Amino acid sequence: MSARGPFGNRLVIAALVVPGAAVLVFVLVVPLAFSVYYSLTDWAGFGDYQRIGIANYREILTDDPVFWRSLRNAVVLIVVTIFVQNPIAFAVAAILSHVSARLSRVLRTIYFIPAALSLVIVAKLWVDIFNPNFGILNKVLIAVGLKALAISWLSNPHTALGAVIWIIVWQGFGWALLFFYAGLMTVPRDIIEAARIDGASVFQTYTRVIIPYLAPVISAVIVIDVISSMKQMELIYLSTGGGPGQLTQFIGVYLYQKAFVAGEYGYGNALSVVFVVVAVGLTVIVQRVLRAVPRDEG
Amino acid sequence: MKITAFVLLAFAVLLAQPAAAQPKVAIKLGDNLPDRSNTWGAVVEQINAEFKAANPGAELVTESYPDQPYQQKIKIYATAKQLPDVFKFWSFTSLLKPLVNGGFIEPLNPSDFDKLDYLTGALESNVYNGKLYGIPVSADLWVIYYNKKLFKDAGIEAPPATIDELIATAAKLKAKGIVPMVTDGKDAWPLCVTFDQLAWRISGDATLPRKALARTARFTDPVFVQAAKELVRMIKAGLFQDDLMVSDYGAARNLFGQGRAAMYLMGSWELGLGADKTFSAEFRSNVDAFKFPLVAGGKGKVDDLFAWYGGNYVVSASSKNKALAVKYLQFYARRFPALAWEKQAALPAQKVAARPGDTAVAKTLLRIVAEAKATSGTPSLDLSSPRFKDDIENAMRELASGLISAEEFTQKIDVAADKASRR
Repeated sequence: MSARGPFGNRLVIAALVVPGAAVLVFVLVVPLAFSVYYSLTDWAGFGDYQRIGIANYREILTDDPVFWRSLRNAVVLIVVTIFVQNPIAFAVAAILSHVSARLSRVLRTIYFIPAALSLVIVAKLWVDIFNPNFGILNKVLIAVGLKALAISWLSNPHTALGAVIWIIVWQGFGWALLFFYAGLMTVPRDIIEAARIDGASVFQTYTRVIIPYLAPVISAVIVIDVISSMKQMELIYLSTGGGPGQLTQFIGVYLYQKAFVAGEYGYGNALSVVFVVVAVGLTVIVQRVLRAVPRDEG
Repeated sequence: MKITAFVLLAFAVLLAQPAAAQPKVAIKLGDNLPDRSNTWGAVVEQINAEFKAANPGAELVTESYPDQPYQQKIKIYATAKQLPDVFKFWSFTSLLKPLVNGGFIEPLNPSDFDKLDYLTGALESNVYNGKLYGIPVSADLWVIYYNKKLFKDAGIEAPPATIDELIATAAKLKAKGIVPMVTDGKDAWPLCVTFDQLAWRISGDATLPRKALARTARFTDPVFVQAAKELVRMIKAGLFQDDLMVSDYGAARNLFGQGRAAMYLMGSWELGLGADKTFSAEFRSNVDAFKFPLVAGGKGKVDDLFAWYGGNYVVSASSKNKALAVKYLQFYARRFPALAWEKQAALPAQKVAARPGDTAVAKTLLRIVAEAKATSGTPSLDLSSPRFKDDIENAMRELASGLISAEEFTQKIDVAADKASRR
């Protein structure tokens, strides 16, 4: 062994780094480069094609209301998950942290069942529940005298987006709960007791001590929410397919439909490139914002 | 020493293998018929069994998906250069032509097929650039299937002859808790076909959509606006299932087959409903079909038949076993019409003779064909590019969901036709 040791040798370092870097290049950089290349063409996915410059990008940004609708829907989903799903999940996790260990375990299992189910099952389950002809929701509504509310939830333009967001939140709730519960279990008892001794109410203990302590967990959940909302695809594809009209469209489904239904592979690739840029940009912004939020470190 | 003995033993075992273990040649098949025990799927399975019996060295591997996922799968396979050797596809400009232009489809020898009793124009529907690229399998008519018992229970004496009469059935059927009519709204194409059908009933001229696509007429012309309005009127009158726009092919078909809906707006490829054992014997004995109703004041006649040759089979140009693939296709073309008719599974694109035991729905469809005075050819959504098809389907989804007006719908598809004609 040389005096510089095995890790002082640049060749050895290179030999250790190159395999990982090569994998990264082949699974990330190369496909993205192909996407960028095809996004500048009018390729149908097979056969001849022509290079058309930035025409696809121009159309996406200036003449494609469905793209903007998809983006808007993703933002709505992000807002709902962060400001509706997460507070409820946090509250439920907080309650679970106070009940008996046995009851907590049972309830956590129940809450997590939707997250453990296959997306296909979840989608089909809710499509059937929402079905206006034989769905249980409308049957219950009619039975309790609310016939006016027994509508076609997934195909009514006023309720479709809300209904699919409900399915997504229903399935994602278990994950948020799990993160928050795990976080709550790590909060040291002594800081909670110290807060109590200082005269803090239960509400103040949560808002002034526990939530700031859990800021890293909450940040992680929010970043995951942003990413999963942006790349939402399967549940939409399996439930409404983006309909009625394009009211429940999300970029993942839209670019798939463009590439493989409409035969506009080039345009679909341009959408995927824009999607990557928007998703990465939004994630970076969210992380910056979360980092900038002042934390009361006492 | 032990090693030498082992090697000798291995050689002895190898030599003792029977010489008859001839390697099997496998060809991959693809179709949109996931139900392999009923109607059309069962016919294909029988053809495959007979083919394997006649060709002992042949192995057939079938991949099957429901209609729309199957179309998407084939496009993905084409992109990945992994098309099945022989697969079902559609003869349309919007679907087959891009594959033909991309060199993915093997041209066939017309003399292998032209003596097989194909109906007039059937083989021609698969001709591109003067070459035959596929064999048609079904004659496709746009009709309305209905459940005679549910009609009778609701006091409806005869199938409606006009759109007004059709709409009038809705209230009677709903009063009995029955969905009046179902179709696949999620995929939008059945509504696009119906839009064409209504335009023809109004104008009496089946060529208008072709002219609009060729830009010698406009989709914004009053005929198309009126057709869109008629379609909206049908939807708003509650004629279709409440979740029309999220109801896919299977969901619509099941509602009808399970006796929950009285009518099913669909093509003649559903002739097998009368023999589909998935559904009750009562349903099978009550299912029948009627001609698409007339529009009051329209110039169209009841025997103007909206009909085309859509479904077909093609051979992949990159098939490694092309000779066997073509042989399979020839076998299929010879056996399909007889078997499909015997099992009452489909209305073939080849001549078939009526038999006394035919189901009521099969008899009706044959009669509708026999009474036709004029036929339309391919629906407009499939006469142009894949992009136009996607555009008109999306515009239709918006129209049927009440998000845009009939005028806005026709403007949208006119812009789409304009874009398609410039590409």
